[in-house]
Amino acid sequence: MTREQLNKALLILLLVICTIWLVIPFGMAILWSLVDPSEPWTADRLLPPAMSFWRWRDMWENSSLQVAMATSYTLAPLAALLSLALATPTAYALGRIAFPGRELAKLLCLLPLVVPGFVTAIFFTSLLFQLGLHTWRFGAILFAHAVLALPYAIRIMTVSFEQVRQDHIDAARDLGATPLARFRVAFLPALRPGIFATLLIVFIQSIEEFAIAFILGSPDVVTIPTLLFSALGQDYVRPNAAVLSLILVVPNVILMLILERLLKSANPTLASGKG
Amino acid sequence: MTAIRIQGLTKTFDGFTALSDIDLDVAPGEFVTLLGPSGCGKTTLLKVISGFLEPTEGKIFIEGSDVTAIPPERRDTALCFQSYALFPHLTVRQNLEFGLRQKKLPRSDRDERVKDVSQKLDLAAQMDKLPNQLSGGQQQRVSLGRALVMRPKVILFDEPLSNLDAKLRDQVRIEIRRIQRDYGLTAIYVTHDQSEALAMSDRVVLLNSGRIEQVDTPETLYHRPRTRFAADFIGNSNVFTGQVLGEDSPGRWNIETPAGIFTCALEDAPHGKEVALCWRPEHAVIGETGIEARVLNRAFQGHFTDLACAAGNGEFRVQALETTAREGDVIRIHVPPDRIRLLEDRP
Ligand SMILES: Nc1ncnc2c1ncn2[C@@H]1O[C@H](COP(=O)(O)OP(=O)(O)OP(=O)(O)O)[C@@H](O)[C@H]1O
Ligand SMILES: [Mg+2]
Repeated sequence: MTREQLNKALLILLLVICTIWLVIPFGMAILWSLVDPSEPWTADRLLPPAMSFWRWRDMWENSSLQVAMATSYTLAPLAALLSLALATPTAYALGRIAFPGRELAKLLCLLPLVVPGFVTAIFFTSLLFQLGLHTWRFGAILFAHAVLALPYAIRIMTVSFEQVRQDHIDAARDLGATPLARFRVAFLPALRPGIFATLLIVFIQSIEEFAIAFILGSPDVVTIPTLLFSALGQDYVRPNAAVLSLILVVPNVILMLILERLLKSANPTLASGKG
Repeated sequence: MTAIRIQGLTKTFDGFTALSDIDLDVAPGEFVTLLGPSGCGKTTLLKVISGFLEPTEGKIFIEGSDVTAIPPERRDTALCFQSYALFPHLTVRQNLEFGLRQKKLPRSDRDERVKDVSQKLDLAAQMDKLPNQLSGGQQQRVSLGRALVMRPKVILFDEPLSNLDAKLRDQVRIEIRRIQRDYGLTAIYVTHDQSEALAMSDRVVLLNSGRIEQVDTPETLYHRPRTRFAADFIGNSNVFTGQVLGEDSPGRWNIETPAGIFTCALEDAPHGKEVALCWRPEHAVIGETGIEARVLNRAFQGHFTDLACAAGNGEFRVQALETTAREGDVIRIHVPPDRIRLLEDRP
């Protein structure tokens, strides 16, 4: 077999694996969510014997799904904005100011990522309890989500700030630009892809986060993941769980596609050497 | 009144002296070039004048007023960056307008100035393009135009032509000079290309590791270099150290060098016995009289032939318009006394 053929074969294999990886769980989730309660889907059947949207309607009307969605979709964008706001000054310092130990500081900012999420959740929430922040449950979750997404936000924004060209800043200054005008003409175009990427990643993190939302929120504040996990608990009904997991995952897939687009097209005009 | 006055300027970067004790006056409408090897402080001096760097010592005056403490956004200077630094997401028109918008100029004035500059720089057809859709020469002109629309008192160039190919460079060089004259701008132009400096400038400031080596018109700098550095940096020179033998006839001094005895025309008697002298390879005359020299190497250069010669214990170069001399031939060369210069630095 020539090298080219081998490459091709491996590529096809990879595609097949990826497809199976995506298609099987998705397909199963969709099929399970469509199972009509009149006839259970037993293991000996390839497809559910009776299919309907009954589960979807039932979950929508008779569970806290509506409330959970409202909470999750308010929480996530706010967390994204807050995280961006918190990360920007640090990222500016890491990306644009030379100081001793800068590389170490960059590394330290990523360090929280090595701790398992649940461990961070347990101890971070205990910290919030001690601070007395838990009395406003929604706010506490919001704060926690924003803070825990900071490693990603700082990393992305640091790289973005490094992309800003000093000669653009200087040129704007030389032409008499105020700090605001300088920001708009020299910084913003280079930062824009990073800002979008940060917002999307924090948004997705917040939408999917369970541990903190559960510890801080229960029983009053319900997000989609906490609702999903409770559907996985004592009263586990597989079709209902399928409905919830689909609701959880679909917006994320869409957002990921947007993100990919954004990163790919990350402002082609900036990529050219000159200008 | 001087357009720019630099007084006792020194700039150090944590211990490293990039500029030391620079004094320079530039007249209104003058085109002055800062010339020197890489790392000699040209960009640093330009950044101090434009306000991006604060001098460690000394003062900068523009049209008589002290601007040392004024930040670049409020200094009436415009800088043309070596990298052009065009805003990539703005069209050519928006790039040109940017500075005028910051000045809050009314729309009609803005349009008029942009139109004027775009016609002068032949950019009228490119106004709605983005910088990365332009050729290198066009980008260069936009960067020049962006500075020109500001109608600054002083325009500063940092090696603006170094990214262009040789042919375009000649063309843009002429354009820059014409526009600078048309607008009556005072210009400071940084380059490390001596031919660019000689061709464009009213005066050349030769810098050597942070110090001014010589300030003169291109002709004087070429014909009367004051130091070995100046003689070597501008054009080719044969530099020798020698002993003064004595005055041959009034104003004619004989100096013995390793390559032989040269007679030089000097206005004043040389200081001391040890001197350094230089002459240009193209001023040597090949003929029947003078020093006997053996040709080591011959290189045909088109409009002249370059001969590397050895005489006595010295070596030098001679440029002849036409010569039949070959490697190994022995020729006689004579350097006219008024073409030989004594250098100021001690041998
Ligand atoms: N911010 C800085 N910090 C420390 N040293 C600097 C800084 N800027 C310049 N220098 C030093 O000052 C000296 C002069 O630099 P400068 O950029 O003015 O050189 P230049 O004459 O413009 O050279 P080139 O022709 O290569 O552009 C160099 O040795 C450089 O290393
Ligand atoms: Mg430079």
